[in-house]
This record gives sequence, C-alpha cells and structure tokens, in this order.
Amino acid sequence: MKVLIICTEKLPVPPVRGGAIQTYIAGIAPFLGQKHEITIIGRNDPSLPDQETKEGIQYVRVPGGLLETYRQGIVDYLNSNSSFDLIHIFNRPRLVTSVRECAPSARIFLSMHNDMFKPQKINPDEGQIAIQEVEKIITISDYIGQAITEWFPEAAPKLKTIYSGVDLDRFVPVYSTKAEKIRKKIRKEYNLEGKKVILFAGRLSANKGAHVLVRAMNNLAKNHSHVALVLMGSKWFSDNRVTDYVSYVRSLAERSPVPVITTGFVSPDKIQDWFAAADIFVCPSQWQEPLARVHYEAMASGLPIVTTNRGGNPEVVERNKNGFIVEKPGDPKEFAEHLSTLLNNAQLCKEMGQYGRKLAEEKYHWDRVVHDILEVWNEIEQKVKNNIPINVEATEEQVTVEEVEEQDVLVTEIEIAAESDTEIEEIMEETEELEEVEKVEEDEEEVEEVEKVEEDEEEVEEIDEAEEKRNRGIFVCYYNPPAPPWINTRAG
Amino acid sequence: MENEQLITPWDLEEAERQDSFYVPEYIVNMAHEVNKHYDMQVSHMEVITTKADKGGLIWKIETDKGPRSLKLLHRRPTRSLFSLGAQEYLVKEKNARVPSIIPTKDGKLYVEIGGKLWFVAEWIESLFQVTKDLEGAKELCYAIGEFHRLSKGYTPPPGAENASRLYRWPKTYNKIVKKMTWLRDIATVYNEMPASSTVLSVIDMFEQQAIKAVERLGQSAYYELVKKGNKEWGLVHQDYGWSNGQKGDGGMWIIDLDGVAYDLPIRDLQKLITGTMDDLGGWDVHWIKEMISAYHEANPVDDQLYEILMIDLSLPNLFYKNVKEMVYEPTVFMDEELKNLVQRIVDIDKTKWPVLDELADNSWLGGKSK
Repeated sequence: MKVLIICTEKLPVPPVRGGAIQTYIAGIAPFLGQKHEITIIGRNDPSLPDQETKEGIQYVRVPGGLLETYRQGIVDYLNSNSSFDLIHIFNRPRLVTSVRECAPSARIFLSMHNDMFKPQKINPDEGQIAIQEVEKIITISDYIGQAITEWFPEAAPKLKTIYSGVDLDRFVPVYSTKAEKIRKKIRKEYNLEGKKVILFAGRLSANKGAHVLVRAMNNLAKNHSHVALVLMGSKWFSDNRVTDYVSYVRSLAERSPVPVITTGFVSPDKIQDWFAAADIFVCPSQWQEPLARVHYEAMASGLPIVTTNRGGNPEVVERNKNGFIVEKPGDPKEFAEHLSTLLNNAQLCKEMGQYGRKLAEEKYHWDRVVHDILEVWNEIEQKVKNNIPINVEATEEQVTVEEVEEQDVLVTEIEIAAESDTEIEEIMEETEELEEVEKVEEDEEEVEEVEKVEEDEEEVEEIDEAEEKRNRGIFVCYYNPPAPPWINTRAG
Repeated sequence: MENEQLITPWDLEEAERQDSFYVPEYIVNMAHEVNKHYDMQVSHMEVITTKADKGGLIWKIETDKGPRSLKLLHRRPTRSLFSLGAQEYLVKEKNARVPSIIPTKDGKLYVEIGGKLWFVAEWIESLFQVTKDLEGAKELCYAIGEFHRLSKGYTPPPGAENASRLYRWPKTYNKIVKKMTWLRDIATVYNEMPASSTVLSVIDMFEQQAIKAVERLGQSAYYELVKKGNKEWGLVHQDYGWSNGQKGDGGMWIIDLDGVAYDLPIRDLQKLITGTMDDLGGWDVHWIKEMISAYHEANPVDDQLYEILMIDLSLPNLFYKNVKEMVYEPTVFMDEELKNLVQRIVDIDKTKWPVLDELADNSWLGGKSK
C-alpha cells in the first residue's frame, strides 16, 4: 500500500528534538517500510532537509508550530500527491477533516497518545466528523480509548489499544550479570552501598508526584533505616533558577529522614543504568496519565512496581504480581505501606521483578508494536484489494478489537524528554513558572508584573514555547545540559 | 536563518554590576539592524526598561520623525504577533488611545531578529500618571473599561496564536488551592523558622478561602459566560496599573499591550482593586463602589459578571502572591520580615470580608437586589 504518515506539528521526525510520538514513528517506520511504500510528513526543522528519502522512506517537511499553518502545508502537499491508500494521522484529530477533503478515497487511521478529543481540544462537531471519517483509532492505553468514548460513544467500534514497549536488551533485569556491574558502580559512586534504593524516573513536575514520594519517606523512615530515594530526571534549569515545584520538592528533600538523591538530567542512553541500580520502582503519578513508558522499563529491569490508579498506568500492572497500585495517589502513607511491604520481603521483590520481566518479554517488546500496527494496516489492505468501501464493517472490527485487546506494546526511548503532547504542554506550563521566581517588589507596578507572570504559566498550549525553551538549553534531552544534581547528604 | 544568534535572557548579575539598564552588546547590535528596516533616522537611543530575566526591553528612540519607542518582545513570536495585531486593531479599527505601530519600509508591523519580534511605536510625549487618589483610581477604571469594550471583536492575524485565558479560570483557581498545600508542607518541615508558626496558623483559613472560591466559581455563571467566546469578550490587558494607564492628549492612554489575551474583562478590574486595597492598608467599600461604577460606565458589568468579580476578589490573592515564594529558600525567606508581612496581610484580610458582604448585593450598581 501507499501509506502517508502524518506527524504532529510540534516536533520533527526523526526526533532530533526529542518527543515520544516522534520517536515512536521513527522507530516503527523502517519496519513498516519493508512491507509498504511509506511517506512521512512532518514539520520542518533547520537541521533537516524539507524533502529526502532515507532507508526507503520518503520524508516531506512543511512549516509547523501552529496547527493552522501546518494543516495548510499538509493540504498543499495532498493536493498534488493524492494517491495514498492509507493515511495514518498521529494524535491530531483536528487534521482529519482537511485530510479527508484532499483525499476522498483514502483510508484514514488515527493514533491517539493523549486525550485530544476532549472539548478543550476539539469542538464537538469536528470531533464527530473525525471519528466518522477514520477507519480505526489506535490508542496507547485503554484509558485513552475510554476518554475518547466519554465524549464520543460512537468511536467505540473503531478503537484498538496498542501498548508501548521497551528494548529488552538495553533494560536488563537487576538480577542479571549484565546489570550487576553497573549496579555496583553506581551504588559506589552515590554512596548507596547497603541501601535499598527506591527509584523515581521522570520529570520533576507536580503531575508526576515526586513530592508525595518524598513525603512518604517520613513515614517509611520510622521502620526502615537503610533506605535511599533516587529521583532520576530533571526539570530543566534556566538561568540558575528553578521552578517553584522543584524548589518545593528540594525543600522537602532537604529535611527528609532518608537520603534523597537527584540525578539531574540523565541522557537517554544512560537511564537503564539507574534502573539497574534500583530495588523498587515507583511511579507516583497524580494526573490521569495516558500510560507512562517507565512502567515498561521497570518491568524489563525486573523491578517491582508501585504505581497509582491514574489514567492508563494500572493497565500494565497486575496487582500483587508485578507490582502494587496506590488507590489514593495524594496519600504518602499508602505509598509507605506498599513500600514497607516490599522492603520487608526481599523474596517478594524478587518474584515481582521476575514476573515483570516475564511480562515484558512476552508482551512488551518492540516487534509486537510493529506487528500490531501491520495487522491493522493489513485489514485495510484487504479491504482496498476487495474494493470494500470506506468505513464498512465497523461492527465486525469491533470483535477483532476485543479479541486482541489483551496485548499490545509501544515505543519508548527518550528519557526525560516529553512523552506526549500533553506532557509538552505541562512542561511549558511549569517552565513558565520559572518566571514566578522573581522577587516581589514593593513597587506596585512590579507587583502587577509578577501577577501577570503567574498568569502566563497558564499558557500551555503552544509548541513554539517548548522549542524556545529547548533552544535555550533547558528542555528536551538532546540539548539539555546536566541539571545540577542536589544530593541530600544530611541524612545519609 | 539557521546560524542566527537567538536572544536569551541575560545575566542579572552583570546587569547589577554595570547598571540596571545593562543590555548585551549583541542585542544592541540587533537593535541597530532593526532600525534599518524603518524609514527613519535614529539619532539617540535610551533604554527605558528591561526584562533581563525574560529577554525583553524598551528603548525610547529619537528620530527625524519624532520620538518613538523600539521594543524587543520577550514572548515567542506567534504570541507577540497576537498582541501586535491587537494593538493595530485598536488603533486602526477602534481609534483607541493606544500608541500606533509604525510600519516597516515594506509595510510590516514588526521585524523578526534573534528569534523574537521587534517593533516601533509612536511615543506619546504628553503622558503622565494620574494622582494616587480615588479620582485617579476612577480614571484608571474607566479607561480600562473602555479598552475592554473597544477590544471586542478582535481577530488575530494569520500565523498568530490565539492567546486566551477565558477558559482557564478553574485551573488557575485550583492551582492556588494546590499551592496552599505546598506552603503548609514547607512550613511544617521548617518549623524552626520565625515565620513558620504564623504561616501555619493562617494557612487553613486561606486555603479554605481558595476552596470556597473554587466552589463558588463552579456554581457561578462562569461556564455560561465563557460560552460567548473569546471575540465576544474581547481583550484583557493582564498587566494594568498606575503606569500602564496614563493621562495624555485626548484622555487616558493604555500602553504596554504585549500581555493582552482574551479573558473575562473583570480580571483587570479585580487586580486593580486588590492592589489598591493593599496600598490603602485595608478594604474600603466606598472606593470599590466608586471604582466599579467608573468601570461600569465604560463597560457595563451585568449581574453575572459582577458575581464573578466578587468571587475573584474573594480569592486569597494578596496572601498567595506574597507568600508563594516561600518554597524557594525556606531557611532564608521565612524570616521575621515574612512573619510581619503575613500578619499585615491577615489584618488587611479581616477588613475584606465585611466589605465583600456589603458588595454582594449589587443593587447600588443598578443590578438585581439579592
């Protein structure tokens, strides 16, 4: 088939500036390209040519940033290149209408990484048309599928979850020989020998919940003396200022009864080392997260998981088998209870970790993602071959969807980089908080200025902002300098 | 322009070492480049104000066409374009008293260099600040009301973002509630600091105020009101006060429009009232009524919008604004000074509630009696 993949307008593919969706597309494209003729259209970038063919895949790059600008570029392209059998749009239901107008006979797919069908993101009429026009909607978790049907119940028959995945060679079990060396080295370097290491991985932002985990240490320390908490990840530091959230966490950590170590920024190719050095993995997410990639990495690393009942996160954790699920994510005590159970029982930790690794090997590897996507593409190919009109058999497909529901996988790679568009928004919002740091002047005018800045933090939807921050060296991994780690040695 | 140097915030320490209007040389060079795009001869440039921490500034420039301002906007270009479009709209379509934008030689509103937008505007020589009394406050209120009314119907130019805070009120309110928890957590673990007990003794109260405001907003006509949409509501200055509203030729002028965004207009009014009450050292019902009346005359506040104004005033704005930085360096910030400040805020807050009670009934403004 002749396939067009449409990326989002925010970041270019290949992911020279990071981004999980971009990484995902770049990851699957070469394999998909072996079976189909693929063109990828995405936003342009100074470091990439506007047109190129690489490893059999054709890349077309048009101006991005604002969706409206980007949409025009896509429309212009499609108007002169309309022979695609399948057009696969990533995370942008708002592109469907225009694409349909330019390509009346193409099959359209959507891949959803975020809840982009909510009213704040798309108006109901446009959303309805989008759902009507697409053949299938692939989601990265059941949660995202449910979030879509909340507003558009008619989408249900078209939904299919394809979970993400992990590189099983890079993330190796903590109990493996390969991990052992790294583990020893890191533990020595950070003075963690003899400690039970609890690992957090992700950006330091309120939604990710590091503060609750830090607070849980107060409860934990009463009964466990040899514990250390590692916060792997950074919050991009700018001009030596930090966001109020990072300050809040740091201020809490400085008074923590157990050592709290932040690694600062860890480059994408090194993050598996910290997983190898840990004993327990915690994802204290406070928000309705689509499904954090770190779960796959923890599983591959053979670590027991403590995660929260938020968004898609619990979908990959089998209760009491590869981890525990916290029901009240804001409650440090509940984290402490689960952590305490694990700290008291080394055998349980091991069993859970092994089970997680088994799950990763069986279900969450990279080939599976490609396989699943090819499967849905192939269904369409059959339809195209048999001249079955667009969008019939939706009900039959539903049956297929339910049958396949159990597995699925997806991508990963980029570490502290934004995982999704929502994450980018979140990052931008919190980056704006950097500006809040400015001291409040007595002068009234200055006070007003501070207030305005505080309002600015609410501006979350613009991509260019994210790039701007990155250009300044404070955002996505590739350009992100190491953030100054702060280590709480007082308690250590 | 791949290799073009990008403008970034500059070193505050350097600025302090030299003088407060220090500007990096590359930016000064860029400014000269920008000037070349205009049909004018610049004889003198003077830095008026800088936002070093964000990478923005204003020069007053003397030209053969008279005095003008040259501005480097710190926001991302698509955002700045929204504001420039607004300024142009207000001048051209509405004859509002905001400075006109001088077009470049090729008729554009701005020049883009260093990844930022620069523009030149008319310099209004006659401007002076209104007196810091009730009459001055009323003039400010009337002027911003007029601004809000005139800005309705604005459509941003192609390529500009749609800067709107209209739909974000619940989020903003909830953020204040969330941060109260942070403040409590910090005050608890730094309990040896002078201000901690004072903060802890009042945090529940201010948190409750914020929670109550969230609830009231949820039950108010807010969701109905925002359905009118951005353009119907028009633009809110977001940074309005005694220096961005000044008197001059023909009346009150509104300047520094780069933060404008679609919003419920009474956000500007709320900030003006809250700030003024802070200056007065206590809430004064007479002042507030006069201020709202002056605003109402220029841009009528109906019953529903009035209710939102009351809710916005009920947020612990003063406390939040002054104390939120506590999380940065608790061992420094939570000192005696903060303790006294919090005490002052609490005292002011005590005078607020009787006033808000009295204002709850808006029949004095010609509204329905509650």
